[in-house]
Amino acid sequence: MSPFQRQRVLGIVVLALVLMWLDSRVTWLEPVRYITGFVLAPAQQTAMIPGAIGNWYSESSTTRQELLAENKQLKARTLVLETRSQRLAALEAENIELRELLSASEQVDDRVLVTSVIAVDPDPFTQQILINKGGEDGVFIGQPVLDAYGLLGQVIDVAPYTSRVLMIADSNHAIPVQVNRNGVRAIAVGTGALDELELIYVPNTADIIKGDLLVSSGLGGRYPRGYPVATVSSVENIPGKSFAQVTAEPSARLDRSRHLLLVFSQGAAKVPATEIWKEH
Amino acid sequence: MNIRALILAAAGLFIAFMLEHLPMPDLLLWLQPAWVLMVVTLLVMFAPQTAGLWIAFPLGLMLDVEQSTLLGTHILTLAIHIFLLQVLYRRMVMFNFLQQTGVVFLLVAVQQLLVYWAGALVSETMGPVPLWGPALTSALVWPWVYGLTHIIMVRLHLT
Repeated sequence: MSPFQRQRVLGIVVLALVLMWLDSRVTWLEPVRYITGFVLAPAQQTAMIPGAIGNWYSESSTTRQELLAENKQLKARTLVLETRSQRLAALEAENIELRELLSASEQVDDRVLVTSVIAVDPDPFTQQILINKGGEDGVFIGQPVLDAYGLLGQVIDVAPYTSRVLMIADSNHAIPVQVNRNGVRAIAVGTGALDELELIYVPNTADIIKGDLLVSSGLGGRYPRGYPVATVSSVENIPGKSFAQVTAEPSARLDRSRHLLLVFSQGAAKVPATEIWKEH
Repeated sequence: MNIRALILAAAGLFIAFMLEHLPMPDLLLWLQPAWVLMVVTLLVMFAPQTAGLWIAFPLGLMLDVEQSTLLGTHILTLAIHIFLLQVLYRRMVMFNFLQQTGVVFLLVAVQQLLVYWAGALVSETMGPVPLWGPALTSALVWPWVYGLTHIIMVRLHLT
């Protein structure tokens, strides 16, 4: 042992402490670590060899039968997972829709009931849907139905656990509306096409322009007032005719919404189920 | 130190680092012997003229990278370890296996303790360091390592 060994050890210790301190505070030493990693790599790779050999052996000793069986199993599993991921997409969409509904129900003050569409009437001349709430849930004839984006229609038939909804796009349906911008009143009639309503009896001079939002006016006594119904998509003044031809696009997503709101509004007229047909 | 001894030392270090890196289950990780430390011990015992304090630098750096400790931690511990060995090695060669085992046990424990102390001194966030596990397993493995090295050295006509 050389005479200054203790001092040397002390020097190395101090040096090492400085190095540690630097390494914990600054990033200059990263290259040193990186390059040392290269030196270590062969030993580290060698350490992994037994595991690699084990893997290789278990792979190469699998029989063809086992592989085929595994293949079959994996295929089946893929199928199951694919189905599940499809459902996941649907669930995601449903979740978004529910959230939107929730915010919609925050906007309206009325008491609401969430319902789902269970069937769509296949008749091309009517626009009706079936929902999964009925008389037992307090649904009544004439009850307004909303989706997340606007008025969708009204209940026309109540069964104990299901109800039939007439959508605003049905050609037998009309709803009193007013332009949100200036209060001009009109009647929006369904055309039978899901994406188009028609405003009838609009004077040529009426202040309605493309892009106006039409909201329910509540004048008919059936729908509550103030819910978005449609957006004006075109205004045409035909010379020689008394009324302008105005078309509007429904705000509600008549062909897409799965979750709807039934509104128990103060303003909405409640017609008992037994009396609905007496008018005819 | 002739070329054969050099190759033996290099091989020993290579195997030591390989064993350091060997994937271990979590439980056994606390019992992993200090392989590099044992090889350093052998180097200092059998080649005291060549293997001096300087080997603490490269080997310490490599151990720091291997165990992802702060750079310098193992330079410090190895320097102290080598110094202690330089004081002890003459006696250690004369010791029997049991006595050697005891010395290795203490040396490894001291090294682990130093790793912890140095880390705690420099950085605020210092995780736990296994202390008795490596010391115990190193001590148990030591006689075999020592015996094997002795046999190889006799075979290679290095003694």
